[in-house]
Amino acid sequence: MSENNLSMATEEVLRIEHLSINFGGLKAVDDLSFEIRDREIFGLIGPNGAGKTTVFNCITQFYRPTEGRVLFRTKEGRVEDLVGQPVHSIIRKGLVRTFQNVELVNELSVLDNVLVGAHIDFKSSGLAQALRLPGARREEKKMREKAQEVLEFMGIAALQNEVAGGQPYGVRKKVEMARTLMCGPKLIILDEPAAGLNDVETQQLAESIHQVREKYECTVLLVEHDMRLVMNICDRICAISFGKFLACGTPSQIQSDPHVQEAYLGEKEDEA
Amino acid sequence: MEKKKTFSMNYYLRYLLFGVVMSLLPVLTNAGVIKTSWLGIIGGTIIYTIAGLGLNLLLGWSGLISLGTAGFMGMGAYISAYVTGDLGLPWELGILLSVVIPLVFGILIGLASLRMEGLYLGIVTLCVSEVLRKTFDELEPVTGGFSGKQAKYPKLLGIFELDQKGTFILLVVIMVLLMMLTYNLANGQLGRALHAMRGSQVAAQAMGVSLLKYRLIAFSLATAYASLSGALYVHFIRFVYPSTWTLPVSLVIMALIVIGGLRSVFGTFIGALIVYAMPDLVLKNIPVIGDINGLSYVLSGVLIILVVLFYPGGVINLFYKLQSLFTGKRSAERAVETAAGVEENRTEEGHE
Amino acid sequence: MSILLQLLLRSLETGAIYALATLGIIIVFRTNLMINFAQGVMGMFGAYIVTVMFQKVLYAGATASGMAQTPALLLSILAGVVGAILIGFIVDIVIIRRTKKVAGTGKEIITLGMMMIFLGITPMIFGVDPMRLPKVIESGEFSILGANLSYNSLLNIVLGIGLTVLLFVVLQKTKLGLAIRTTASNERTARLMGVPTKWVTLFAWALALVLGTLAGVMIAPSTSVTLNLMDSVQVNAFIACVLGGFQTFYGPVIGAYIIAIANNLLAYYVSSVWGTQILYVLVIIFIVFKPVGLIGKKITKKV
Repeated sequence: MSENNLSMATEEVLRIEHLSINFGGLKAVDDLSFEIRDREIFGLIGPNGAGKTTVFNCITQFYRPTEGRVLFRTKEGRVEDLVGQPVHSIIRKGLVRTFQNVELVNELSVLDNVLVGAHIDFKSSGLAQALRLPGARREEKKMREKAQEVLEFMGIAALQNEVAGGQPYGVRKKVEMARTLMCGPKLIILDEPAAGLNDVETQQLAESIHQVREKYECTVLLVEHDMRLVMNICDRICAISFGKFLACGTPSQIQSDPHVQEAYLGEKEDEA
Repeated sequence: MEKKKTFSMNYYLRYLLFGVVMSLLPVLTNAGVIKTSWLGIIGGTIIYTIAGLGLNLLLGWSGLISLGTAGFMGMGAYISAYVTGDLGLPWELGILLSVVIPLVFGILIGLASLRMEGLYLGIVTLCVSEVLRKTFDELEPVTGGFSGKQAKYPKLLGIFELDQKGTFILLVVIMVLLMMLTYNLANGQLGRALHAMRGSQVAAQAMGVSLLKYRLIAFSLATAYASLSGALYVHFIRFVYPSTWTLPVSLVIMALIVIGGLRSVFGTFIGALIVYAMPDLVLKNIPVIGDINGLSYVLSGVLIILVVLFYPGGVINLFYKLQSLFTGKRSAERAVETAAGVEENRTEEGHE
Repeated sequence: MSILLQLLLRSLETGAIYALATLGIIIVFRTNLMINFAQGVMGMFGAYIVTVMFQKVLYAGATASGMAQTPALLLSILAGVVGAILIGFIVDIVIIRRTKKVAGTGKEIITLGMMMIFLGITPMIFGVDPMRLPKVIESGEFSILGANLSYNSLLNIVLGIGLTVLLFVVLQKTKLGLAIRTTASNERTARLMGVPTKWVTLFAWALALVLGTLAGVMIAPSTSVTLNLMDSVQVNAFIACVLGGFQTFYGPVIGAYIIAIANNLLAYYVSSVWGTQILYVLVIIFIVFKPVGLIGKKITKKV
């Protein structure tokens, strides 16, 4: 892991270096590099099929990149290359994600779903849980309170005992976001957070992303089709097309970038 | 599931009460209120419930199918019969070994399962069960081959020699303890991890759930429960034949958890009552109908299909419904069918 | 040499039986996306129909009227096939059509429920006594290169290979085959493209039952017709599917013959008692290292 120098500028949280991945000869991501700074809201945009979600999957190790490095500054402040690490170990470093089609446990209550996000923070053993030893009980209680707090923050505390599967889409998205907040993340990756939401809900989402950053002192990386949302809330944006880097900069820089305009030519700006 | 403080008292009390009521059955037979033969049937129900709890952790909570239950029950039964009979070792050691040895196999299957698509799992566990069944036939020095093997009622701590009624009460105690353990496990971090694994493997991994670890845990628990129930079987029924441990037993155990209620501890017992005890206690006493061969299988089979198609919460859900009629509450646990309805729509999308 | 040839010939016969059962499993899997654990008992039920038709109806009548045994048996098999088709229709219309939206393991659980129904209903209708079913060609054998082969075995071998080839021709060359393959690759898209998927699944279940019944009729003379008739065929057919992979139609058939050969060779050269167990363990180990089977590709879920 440490054969190369794992160096990052101190303000950087995530640094993608020359990331590439092939699917049977097709280069889904091709030599992509960008970096995300601490406490930033960073957008990844591109036309349909540009490989945005693939980039996410490479960062979170659902896919093994063919080449390149994914440097991440963990909760403890160490810089690590995530490539090759087990998928389930990524969250421990402080990197957590949501999914395009909201992956919740339908049969569990909203509160229990949020508690799944605290999985790594439980310290008591299975035996202690089975016997309901005082330590395990205290821990469970503490986590429940924390989950209730998070739900309160997301404005859905009233629904905590309802079954997650029975909730409308907007609420399910909020539950998924709440779940990411349980582990005290350093970087949250949101995969199309506004997809399927109406205008009012999208507006609320923009606000809550800002609030999440302020309250939980974390960085946000998001993929989104809704250009208005992206331009509205992102500090910086990286645009890609066919897996290749197009441009990186502030929303206004991106909007005036000739490469980006070319890539989007023929596509309306706010198709969602 | 519940959060109120009063509930934790309530909850222990509920299981304790259940245990006490069950332990009263031998007394009732003494008083002549119920037939002695009922003890054997209810004892069998308890044994099936224990195996069912394990399979419920696997199939219900973790969504992993296994057709190996009968094989592991048989393994537990033979090991305990061999250790206590042929080797003359204490009953406690017999139980311990009959859980630990199958556990090793359970862990191996768990390891293998990680490499397989979910749909292969049923087949592979079926193979394992078949290998075990043939081994019971052939490994004569241990299993006694086709003539079977005898065992005695347990002798606790080498002092207390139990009779059938004593063994029955022992079964009740073990079942109630296991029900409580299962309930605690299922409603804590471990249970949520299993839930998450069933709901979505990718999301579970993203939340830090190691598929390896939790699949191993699920398989180990299911194997341990099954082999324990087999070991208890051999000391309650007092003999064991290889032809007992065939696929139909695995099917009956699966049937009882599906009918009683997937992911429900009490549902498992109720399912065992319906699938295992009811045919013997009720159907056989009805004239004409009681004489029809295979009726209980047909009923179980029809019930399984009906429950999966129309009532995914199982029979236990009826009880919750009745309860909520009185309390007017609708909590997470009690609205399983809404959730299942949503799940259906999701898989439809998933096929694309 | 002649022993080896003898073993191979025997393997071709058992392989034919496994192949038919395997095709029944795979056609249902490809069109319904469910593993049909009831395939074995469905074949067992079909074999019961044939046996009862033969023993209780036709053979009794045949001996009375001086009719030979073989035509009576063939008529019984025909009746069994018709019965199998009808049961296939009933299974599809009454149960399977409602399972389209059942998630995850639910579909498998339903087939296990069907298995229980068949296990229960068979003794209800046909009684509990074991029955015998004779071979289609009662006697006679010939030898090639020192190995003996009965005419009935030859018939089974030819039937197994013939039916498999016929099925592949249907799948590859006919409109029905195209509809099946389209449904197999994506049921929903197929439906939207106008493929009559309802008819496809109806056909698939009827075919599965017919194949199961024929496999049952082929294995029955070597044992007796009981509830357990198809147990080992079913397990071997499943193993063959796992070995060959569920993604193609021909992979499992190849698997079926491999299993049959390996089974016979292990039983003869290694151990007649432990051969089968060794084979199963080997296949399980194989699956651990090659989870998609001999022929197949990995399906990755998109997130």
